Amino acid sequence: MSGSDKTWVGQSLSRKEEDRLLRGRGKFVDDIKLREMLYLRFVRSPYAHAKIVSIDTSAAEKIPGVICTLRGSEIASQTQPFIEIAPDPGGRIRDYPLAVSKVRYQGEPVVAVVAESPAIADDGAEAVLIEYEALDPVVDAEQALTDASILHEEAGTNKVWNGVFEYGDVEQAFRDAASIVEIDRMHFHRFSSTPLENNVVIGQWDPKDDHIHYWCNNSFPSFAIQFLAAHLQVHIDRIRVQTFDIGGSFGIKITSYPQMAVCALASKKAGGRPIKWVETRSEHMISSAHGNERTFRDTRVALDNQGVITAITSRHIDDCGAYPRYEPLGCVIWSQVFPGVYRFKNARIDFTQAVTNKCPVGPNRGYSRMQHLWFLERVVDICAHELGIPADEMRLRNYIRPEEFPYTTPNGCIYDSGNYPKMLEMAKQLIDWDGWKKKQADARKRGRMIGIGIGTTLDSGTNNFGQSQIVNPGAPFSGNSQGANCKLDIYGEVVVAVGSCPQGQGHETTAAQVVADVLNINPDLITVRTGFDTERNVHTGFSGTYASQFAVSGLSAVHGAAQKLKAEMKRLAAFVLACKEEDLEFGSGAQGPEVRSKSNGRSINYWGLANIVNVNSAVLSPELHDVTLNCRYVWRAPFKVPDTKKKYGNLTMTYASQLHIAVVEIDGETCIPKILDYVAVDDCGTVINPRIVEGQVYGATAHGIGAALLENCVYDEVGNMLTSTFSDYLPITPVNMPSVKYGHIATPSPHSYSGAKGMGEGGAAPIHTISAALQDALFDKRIFIQDSFNNPDSLFRALRGETCRAKDLVKVERRA
Amino acid sequence: MYPRPFHYHRASSLREAVTMLSQLGEDARFLAGGQSLIPLMKLRFSNPSHLVDLSFVPGAAYIKQERSALHFGALTRHSEIENSATAAMLPVLHDCAAGIADVQVRNRGTIGGSLAEADPSGDWATVLLTQETELRCLGPSGERTVPLRGFITDAYTTVLGHDELIQEVIVRIPPPGSGGAYLAFKRSAPVYPTASVAVQLTMDGGVCKDAVITLGCVGLTVVRSEGSEAALRGHEIDDKAIAAAMEAARAAADPQADMRGSVEYKRVLVAALLKRAIEIAMRRARGEQVEVSHIYA
Repeated sequence: MSGSDKTWVGQSLSRKEEDRLLRGRGKFVDDIKLREMLYLRFVRSPYAHAKIVSIDTSAAEKIPGVICTLRGSEIASQTQPFIEIAPDPGGRIRDYPLAVSKVRYQGEPVVAVVAESPAIADDGAEAVLIEYEALDPVVDAEQALTDASILHEEAGTNKVWNGVFEYGDVEQAFRDAASIVEIDRMHFHRFSSTPLENNVVIGQWDPKDDHIHYWCNNSFPSFAIQFLAAHLQVHIDRIRVQTFDIGGSFGIKITSYPQMAVCALASKKAGGRPIKWVETRSEHMISSAHGNERTFRDTRVALDNQGVITAITSRHIDDCGAYPRYEPLGCVIWSQVFPGVYRFKNARIDFTQAVTNKCPVGPNRGYSRMQHLWFLERVVDICAHELGIPADEMRLRNYIRPEEFPYTTPNGCIYDSGNYPKMLEMAKQLIDWDGWKKKQADARKRGRMIGIGIGTTLDSGTNNFGQSQIVNPGAPFSGNSQGANCKLDIYGEVVVAVGSCPQGQGHETTAAQVVADVLNINPDLITVRTGFDTERNVHTGFSGTYASQFAVSGLSAVHGAAQKLKAEMKRLAAFVLACKEEDLEFGSGAQGPEVRSKSNGRSINYWGLANIVNVNSAVLSPELHDVTLNCRYVWRAPFKVPDTKKKYGNLTMTYASQLHIAVVEIDGETCIPKILDYVAVDDCGTVINPRIVEGQVYGATAHGIGAALLENCVYDEVGNMLTSTFSDYLPITPVNMPSVKYGHIATPSPHSYSGAKGMGEGGAAPIHTISAALQDALFDKRIFIQDSFNNPDSLFRALRGETCRAKDLVKVERRA
Repeated sequence: MYPRPFHYHRASSLREAVTMLSQLGEDARFLAGGQSLIPLMKLRFSNPSHLVDLSFVPGAAYIKQERSALHFGALTRHSEIENSATAAMLPVLHDCAAGIADVQVRNRGTIGGSLAEADPSGDWATVLLTQETELRCLGPSGERTVPLRGFITDAYTTVLGHDELIQEVIVRIPPPGSGGAYLAFKRSAPVYPTASVAVQLTMDGGVCKDAVITLGCVGLTVVRSEGSEAALRGHEIDDKAIAAAMEAARAAADPQADMRGSVEYKRVLVAALLKRAIEIAMRRARGEQVEVSHIYA
């Protein structure tokens, strides 16, 4: 390709990484074996809440091959507790990577055993004797807030954070309302992601240079090193983190820093030998991280006589498990999508977060926004059903309109672009809405329960870390940034390095597409180094792969670095070819990629340019000595610090949207819900690589359907986790997947250089969509869907009138 | 997790395996496909000191018809039965074999191992109890033939001695006019069924001459629903008879609540599965080819 009329961005290129990954040639942390490496196994608490009375590791230490053990009290004496993001009272929590004096969830690590082999480490772990004294467990957030049994004595309360988000004139809106709908309680369930690859850490604390080296699959390493340096009391430059291919994270691998800390400290105790910890699946299920569980109480909705929502008030209680860790950021992150896709201006949400004796939460895909979006979609559907307005019509009356973009939300977020009515129209066409409506009516006459549900979702990407100041005005974070480096190596190879650590998102491909357009060369000629490495020196404090942002932050950094390189190449080529910079053009010639002069016909290839700068620099004139052809660029998001008192400001750069429609039938005899038809329409602005986007949409759809129907983290009343294996926790498999129809529109973002929007999370659209469809199937039986998780057994109980009864849940006040 | 250290022995004949096990004592276990034992050892719930592997015994895996019966070597893998034209003579065996867990498990797990393990959620016992099934067993004192009815005495418990193993599974081919079906509800492929039902109906025109009905995963062992059988036997199989059979199954089921469902739900589910299984078995009794797939959701 030589002409500049065609661009690489926008093409469905096969992924550069596919060949390696599909042939089993990927390199994952567990593939790494180091000389003298030792293996670590955790001894975990069987109790949800208990005092540690005694620990006896003597029998374990006598086993041949066991090198040492490590316990919480040893760690507490040589480290600082992890940073807490919360102000008081949550900020008073003291979090160590091993339990010190008590355990706070089943599966919490208490002792680490280090041995010459994984099997000996298991033998050692089995020989550790720990005596506990059980304490009252707290497994429900609302129960936790009574403070009858306190998890963290130093905090004095189970409340981590509370804040009221109020905008507009709520009281006036309720006075003017034509109808008011009240919903007593709704609940968003706890589920997680189950990446194919569990957490893996190799840590080495080298006593020779007091340097800590990690080989790991943490998905937000720049966050991890900030927590680790403060905890371990080492200079942050002494911590090197490298990541490799990662088999999925979905945000769950962001909070692996406690295990990283244990590996380093164990290595120190073991004389500097590298320590490998490979998490088992059961460990992953009970103690990696779960998604946030949220309860919605006392919701009141004001509507006008057209069914337009004018105000919402509600109390939201978030359950963050035993330790806040990344929390309480989730207490503000939901407000990136405060009004969802809707136009209401008046609202008051009283938001509280509590600790409970359950696995700590982590930023699970759709983090904190999906809970809120599910809540809003439930509100919309419940109001629509109660007021007798069809679900599609209800949405059209309440959607933010296409001509209103960029749209400022009541809390100051700026929705960049979108066209929700058009997406709805497309989804209805693809699924044959009218046809299904007819089939539904016919089936209903024969006693069949078929429901059609709509879910409209936002995937907000590239966040403003200034929102952390809304939860803690003292938090030293704001804005967002990403680094990239683009260079011509000594022989002229184009090499790009990015501070991201992809887990299947195709960064090697999309980064190459962007650089290929800048330099007008084939993307195959570009090497992209992904996988984090602190010593590559491209990262900023926000680098990693999380929160739907690579298309904006990552590729903006890559684009900036490529342009910087191109500018240097131009200056150099103009000098060598003795022409003006304006006369130069970029492309490929007989000797590979080159820069040529349109005025004199001369050209120089990349090898020639790199040669002069790197190994032939005597020919260079002094005014070009600043040219390195090795260009680091840091892209910064144009954010301001939000108004922390009013909780007002722009919290996210881009808003991708998804519109899903599901047709679900509930079998009258078995209560098994079956998806009869499904459509997913997405809008992520300008598309970098349609094939990658489509893959992400299918993946997010599968994950969401799994969450809605199969995946549920269940604890019993004393805090035993009942779903710690894949017999009881069911990640979705192909036999559970419907065939998904796919549609796409593009409303380019005015906020990103390319018009692209982040779309990695997908907003958990199927959860709202399936809840809506189930409710549509059951509404004529006066059943409301009040939980985000529904399986045959829960539908059976609802159909028997034990749960979800409209008369217990919903009250409607109609005024003229 | 890794198992505790153990000794591994490879037997070259079933007789040798039995001798080895009696010599090694109570701390030794037979290893067939390993689909139950190995995970239990990795979780350290089961910690044998010795494993005697049967997988390399020549001639222990086969499927053949001899006169009016099908003979399965105990080491025959589920996938071999799934793909066997001989086994396909009894479609209910295919229903079972093709629906056990996922491909990896079917490629390793064996029919003999599954029956000897007697897991309350296992598939084979439920199906084979609707057939005339005998097990040829081998122990230190020689061979004996045991009917499958009475073989499983409790959850994970059979009449087998510690050093006794199943050598062959013999299933009599039902007479013409007889049809069977096996149906399970599984939330996804790798998990055990929430409930399952096996039915064998022998028809004489529209009238049911004989019925055998078993319910799986709703008791510590397979539940035989004699009330359901009585509701069909000697009757025209109409909606009323089916409703009575369902009611009897609901009453016979003795499930436990777990992550797969509540007690009451499992009772309702097993009755609904029975209705569908009866319909399929009737069509097969009439000679129709009916493909059956478990219900996944």
